[in-house]
Amino acid sequence: MSAPIIWIVIPFISGLLTLLLLRERVSPLIAGVVASALSLIALIFPIDTALLLGSISIKISPSIQFFGRSFTLTTADGSLLAIIYGLAALWFFGTEASGTANRFVSLGLMIVALLTASIAVEPFLFAALLLEIAAMLVIPLLVPMYQKPGRGVVRFLIYQTLAMPFVLFSGWMLAGVEASPGDINTTVQAGTMLGLGFAFLLGVFPLYNWIPMLTEEAPPYVAGFLLWALPTFTVIFGLGFLDRYVWLRTSPQLSSAIQFAGVFMVVSGGIFASLQKHIGRMMGYAAIAETGLLVLAMGLQSSQVINVTFLILIPRGLELSVWALALSVIRRKAYSLRFSDVQGLARSHPMAVAAITLSHLSMTGFPLLAGFSSRLALGQELAGQSLIISFWVFIGMLGLLVAAARTLAVFVMAGENKLWELNESWMQMTMLGLGMIGLFILGMFPQVLQPLIVNLPALFDHLGQ
Amino acid sequence: MLILVSCLLLFVTALALMALRVTQQTARFSWLVAVGGAMLAFASVFIWLAQMPFEFALPPWQPFGLFVNPVLFRADGLSWPIALSIGALTLSIMFTAVARPVNTNSFAWVGTLTLGGIGLLAVTADNPLTLLLVWGALDLTELIAQLASVEGSSNNEKVVTSFSIRALGIGILLWANVVSISLGSALNFQSIPAGSGVFLVLAAGLRLGVLPLHLPYSPDSSLRRGFGTALRLISAASSLILLAHVPAVGDIRFAPLLLAIATLAALYGGWMWLRAPDELTGRPYWVIGLAALSVISALSGNPLGAVAWGCALILVGGALFLATVQQTWLNRILLVGAWSLSTLPFSLTASVWIGNLGFFIPFVIAAQALLVAGFIRHALRPSGRDTLESQPGWARTVYPAGILLVIICQLLLGFIGWDGALQVGAWPQAIIASLLTFGLVWATPRFRILNPIRAHWVKNPAASRMDDIYGSAWTIYRLLERVSQAINVTLEGEGGIMWTLLFLVIFISLLTQGIP
Repeated sequence: MSAPIIWIVIPFISGLLTLLLLRERVSPLIAGVVASALSLIALIFPIDTALLLGSISIKISPSIQFFGRSFTLTTADGSLLAIIYGLAALWFFGTEASGTANRFVSLGLMIVALLTASIAVEPFLFAALLLEIAAMLVIPLLVPMYQKPGRGVVRFLIYQTLAMPFVLFSGWMLAGVEASPGDINTTVQAGTMLGLGFAFLLGVFPLYNWIPMLTEEAPPYVAGFLLWALPTFTVIFGLGFLDRYVWLRTSPQLSSAIQFAGVFMVVSGGIFASLQKHIGRMMGYAAIAETGLLVLAMGLQSSQVINVTFLILIPRGLELSVWALALSVIRRKAYSLRFSDVQGLARSHPMAVAAITLSHLSMTGFPLLAGFSSRLALGQELAGQSLIISFWVFIGMLGLLVAAARTLAVFVMAGENKLWELNESWMQMTMLGLGMIGLFILGMFPQVLQPLIVNLPALFDHLGQ
Repeated sequence: MLILVSCLLLFVTALALMALRVTQQTARFSWLVAVGGAMLAFASVFIWLAQMPFEFALPPWQPFGLFVNPVLFRADGLSWPIALSIGALTLSIMFTAVARPVNTNSFAWVGTLTLGGIGLLAVTADNPLTLLLVWGALDLTELIAQLASVEGSSNNEKVVTSFSIRALGIGILLWANVVSISLGSALNFQSIPAGSGVFLVLAAGLRLGVLPLHLPYSPDSSLRRGFGTALRLISAASSLILLAHVPAVGDIRFAPLLLAIATLAALYGGWMWLRAPDELTGRPYWVIGLAALSVISALSGNPLGAVAWGCALILVGGALFLATVQQTWLNRILLVGAWSLSTLPFSLTASVWIGNLGFFIPFVIAAQALLVAGFIRHALRPSGRDTLESQPGWARTVYPAGILLVIICQLLLGFIGWDGALQVGAWPQAIIASLLTFGLVWATPRFRILNPIRAHWVKNPAASRMDDIYGSAWTIYRLLERVSQAINVTLEGEGGIMWTLLFLVIFISLLTQGIP
């Protein structure tokens, strides 16, 4: 069997079957088990290497052809696939507790499969198309049946769609640049096109206004999944570009542009988060700030660029899933996620409030929590390059801290004599509890990620070497 | 490993109390469990002396290229006295709990033991990474313990404010690390670059736990005595240990300015402490005053002095704040604390003025005299009105033992166990400070300005000033909030996409102008 069939076709078909055949209560479990199994297979069985199990020899071939396009997953992709499907499993197992509709897991599996295809496809420019299809598949998740889509959803679709032609054009022009590297005009045009494409895809300042709109109007769990999945694969796609084109990697202009974009995202995300009165929007802005950190990590002129990037990416999945799940729990009880409606909920929903607080603090880089080690590492690498950028990142993180403090203050402002009680279901408590334990484990022992990260630089021929 | 043993003894005891609270709420042996654990932990800190100096490291963080420093704890001549002080304070709080009106297994006991354990880890942290992690644990523990024990929205808000300010201190220490790396080396306590020193002082200052000025408990709450004392003093000690690593005046940027600010803070803390209506109201000023003296010692190039003031803060302050029962002989024994603060030869603080203070000496001596005079005044007229009359015989013995324990530790640290023991120190300064103290003690009841009797309904002017500062901060915040709302409405409204594209064009043109 070939790797693309295992990690692209099987999850896609599983998603489809789950949507058509399975009942509401079983589907999250099935999807979670499928994703976990795929993650374990990626960890245990190396691609393109013969493995002897008794007298049986097993070998996963790396590629297949599909309509003249090749989909290739190499040995080096193993860790990446394990991370992606491991985190996806986390999201799917949490679906039942979040009370999200059945189609989330089925469409979610299909989206992850398509996004995996985006990192496997050759020529790699077709990834832009696959990202666009994945973005379209998200729409049914965001819009309830028989309802008009909100403004955030429409804007999300517009920006993701605008990204595609820019990326495709830039790819076409980059081929020209490779042929004649001395042509400055083509180089500048290609660089600008590429920059714009990724600016739309990642939601770079000021193109991210769909994110807070979406986190305000869509179910938090779905919005959180979207904020995890799309930027994760876009970053991997972007790293592929940087790795492939030497002039992009060495261009001081592009490096400056990446740094500016990252800093703007971190600072504006942090400051806007601190000024919100809606905890859903706050999650959106925190995600923006973290995407800014990812952009900054991609722009590092250091051999540690891959390590730092994935050190941010992996905890991000956990932080967002715990945060989104807790918001879903709160949203089922409160009229809305505005401050006025969630005030004092810490005493009636302590687990959900603790999960929101810890995820938020983790995103600010609070010690002992999952996000700390990556912020520390990025801060150290940035400090070696520019103290001014480090300062602005510090300001952005400070904004997130203020937001976390405000949210917590609102949650705990209960009246006199309000007793503590647990109103979450056992399933919600289990999932939130496990998530919070995970945040602490990643915060105290980030070396547990090392087996996953250690082989990732091999994915890229030049970056991080 | 011994460090871990001491901490685990406290953590396991806290866990056992939690389990007892859930399974047997009325268990009468809970107090014995708490005291047993605290006593074993205290004894185990003494065992450190047999092996000192020694280290304990956790598995190193990976990738190695990104994380240079391991999570490392070290017991040595600087960390041991503060560790002993924390152990003694924790045990003393448990002993004196018998005299409090609410003497049952509570979150306050669990919180006190956990804080004690984390405090031990904090003072033995051997590099900024380790200290950051322990500070994080300390802050989360304090947050949970306080939220579980306070009532009312305003008090809960105070808890969050206090947490945020300490978290800001963590941020400042992280920034010190960034500055250090930009200057060419990762921050560690063995070689702190001049540019980072000022941030270390700032981080320690923010984390002293004095803001907001008063703990979110009602004045008559028994939590204010036991748990409140642990919160205030262990928090402060975990921050002051950072000062023991701050470079001296000559090696630090803005040092004279910092020294001047610290001296002003010491004078202000001493003055407010002397005039405070009672010791609990004055407790934040006690922390400010002694912490400022600790900063001054550190900046004068004398880390031993910083540690000595830290021990005095915990042990002398602990004895005073925990004493709630009116017993004349006990009140007099409390005056041993004045000796510990006197800086006279062989006292706990004998080593504090060895460094070079130059022009600031007279002001520092004045601040010290104000603090000692305030201590004597509060020791002789404690505000506590608890009684042991209704307590069984063993409780009447255990309570004074708790107070005596911290007093004995004060005397003991003057003679054994660390680099600041058996010091003659700068005795001429000590004598001048002592004479000034006696003068102040004599003058206090005679001059109204030194001893204002404030009616309880008159608002504390310091608290009122803090309210003004909070009010101004809120005004600025609301202004920014309105600006943010205007931007959001513009970008997310009907014409949002056009506005966004316009902004994008402006940014690109601005950026391309700056890039060759």
